[in-house]
Amino acid sequence: MNDRQPNALMLQHNRQRRKISDKIWRALFLISCVLSALMIVLIIIFIAVKGIRVFLPGYEYGQQNFWDFLTGMTWRQDSKTYGVGFIVINTFTTAAFAALLSFPVATLTALFIVKIAPERLRVAFTTVIELLAAIPSVVYGVFASGAITKLVQQLAAFFGQTSAAGISALSVILLLAIMIFPTICSMAIVAIQAVGKSLEWGSLALGASQTQTNFKVVLSAAKSGIFAGLVLGLGRAFGEATAVTMVAGNAMSGPSWNLFDTTRTLTTTMLSGMHETSGLDYDIRFSAGLVLMAVILLTNALIHLIKRKIGGVDHE
Amino acid sequence: MNKSRRLKDGILNGLTWLSTAVAVAVLLLVFIFMFRRGWSDLSWDLITTDYWPQNLNVAFRQGEAGAYTAPADLAAGDSFSTLYGFALRDATDTKKAKTLIITYVDPDSPLESAYITTAGSQQGLNQAIHEDASVQMLYYQDEDGQQVLAGLLAGDDAASLVQKLDTGSVSIQSMYYQTAGGGIRGSILATLLLIGLTLVIVLPIGILAAVYLNEVAGRNRLTALLRQAIETLNGVPSIIFGLSGVVMLFPVTQLFGASGQSILLGALTMAVILLPVVIRQTEEALIVVPQSLRMGSLALGATRSQTIFKVVLPNALPGILTATLLSVSRVIGESAALIYTMSTVVTDNPKILQPATSLAVQIWQIMSSEQPDFKLASAVSLIILMMVLLLNLTVKLITRRLSRRWA
Repeated sequence: MNDRQPNALMLQHNRQRRKISDKIWRALFLISCVLSALMIVLIIIFIAVKGIRVFLPGYEYGQQNFWDFLTGMTWRQDSKTYGVGFIVINTFTTAAFAALLSFPVATLTALFIVKIAPERLRVAFTTVIELLAAIPSVVYGVFASGAITKLVQQLAAFFGQTSAAGISALSVILLLAIMIFPTICSMAIVAIQAVGKSLEWGSLALGASQTQTNFKVVLSAAKSGIFAGLVLGLGRAFGEATAVTMVAGNAMSGPSWNLFDTTRTLTTTMLSGMHETSGLDYDIRFSAGLVLMAVILLTNALIHLIKRKIGGVDHE
Repeated sequence: MNKSRRLKDGILNGLTWLSTAVAVAVLLLVFIFMFRRGWSDLSWDLITTDYWPQNLNVAFRQGEAGAYTAPADLAAGDSFSTLYGFALRDATDTKKAKTLIITYVDPDSPLESAYITTAGSQQGLNQAIHEDASVQMLYYQDEDGQQVLAGLLAGDDAASLVQKLDTGSVSIQSMYYQTAGGGIRGSILATLLLIGLTLVIVLPIGILAAVYLNEVAGRNRLTALLRQAIETLNGVPSIIFGLSGVVMLFPVTQLFGASGQSILLGALTMAVILLPVVIRQTEEALIVVPQSLRMGSLALGATRSQTIFKVVLPNALPGILTATLLSVSRVIGESAALIYTMSTVVTDNPKILQPATSLAVQIWQIMSSEQPDFKLASAVSLIILMMVLLLNLTVKLITRRLSRRWA
């Protein structure tokens, strides 16, 4: 048989083999994709099943009352009292205060970077913002427990308050404000960049100054993206665990409106004081996780809603 | 433009300048803080020594007395032995017990010629005694050829021990001491294992899924739904991944013989966290490959999968590289998910199916102990910080190259 001219049979055989391998690969592509997409569903199911089990009759370590869990204002491992009500309130208030501090600064910084800064500074600052977002949570945590708590301690002394070595709600707020800054800022940068030039020119042609245009036209045209960034930042703040746990102090009851008091958020509850990997004290962390999951999914839904409802003119 | 308008504009502009200044100042503060706290503790010893202190019996190959001079920077309270070339200091350990810490060893000192005499696999190995080791007791030979005991067990403090050695001894015979410990060698190994395993799991799945979304799937609602589901993973906090990893992925590791938390479980969890990252990065690289390349390949008679593997994917390599680097950076920095899945028990000999800590988790472990060693935590943080920033800057360079490629 001549090597260079394979007969028709072999050609057909080859083609068939290629067809089969093509089919196998296509199946593999599909399986990988479906597997990846299934992950979020599986995560929700598994956490829900494990988190709800605690409230069902027949739970081996003693059934818990679901209503007491949701509205309880005390969380004590020693007396097996698990109430997540004040923890949810703490989680929301610390995140909200952090966003209150971070949002204006982040938005103005984004405006500066896109519209005001000279070209060279712009590239440098964008890089800086991206790097800030990449710093691991645990590094921020070490920074917070070394620097922020010291600052808070001095503040507390100045106001004549006591604080547990700076471990307090205020430390959590300051830390979160720093940590969500890059999220809000980079979303704002993207939103401001997307504003069409024609809007700006129109405003300038009507006699507005460049600054008036920036603040009144550009910012309001980009507002849906900017607010979506704010909500995304809030989501980050709700879910931030390691760093927050280092400075939160795990108050056993609450909510307390004194910023120098210790606090407890959903994530610190899940992370701290973990000794065993079975029993009620371990399983109830999944229930707290379920509450956190619900909060996060609500936040995600809110982002979609904002993008659709607030509108703005940014997306052509 | 009138005066009040100009004033208002100036104030508003000034505000944006001020905000940016605040942001940059905070970043600088984080950096300066980390460097100032961590830099002094950063050393080769930290990286190469074990975490757990080890008690060792050693003898000396060349134990004879010599003549050494004290270093110029010897601390005031330290006692220097001129016959054997090392310095001792009185100290108390974490359990408040008295110890004798070696603070300086001359490069030619007999201490450098020590070898292990403790029975076991390490017997006979050279084990030079380094700074920060704590001396329990030692035997030396006096001028009459008698063996004499010295050290904590003989009631010595640093000064009296050195005094004994320098006035009546001919050679040192053997020593019982504790190595310094507190190093991060084990965690570095565990982190490397974790990175390797995670990439092996996430890269194939992520790349195949991205290929499906971009090359195979039709533009229909099912595809949009799949995409949406993968995107949603992005917003899930890492502690949730940790929780679900314990219940959802633990059975998978059981198939390989794990009996609890393990590096493998950590890697599987990290793989789930990184799926959206890898898929997104690969897809972005696939999108910019020109359609004409695919058409050409198909026209020459190649099948779809041949086209994908021989034409499209090679052109998307930079994107896959970016995905890999970003993944490595995330694995290095991740803590919350790994605290649940890999445990907080530092080990010096990490095994894939055993609990271990990555560098980030070791920081957490240090910080959540009763008396945190803040300087050590800062030093390890500094290592992590530098690695993560370096990886991210590299990614930035690659993406800039990539965007120029088809332009």
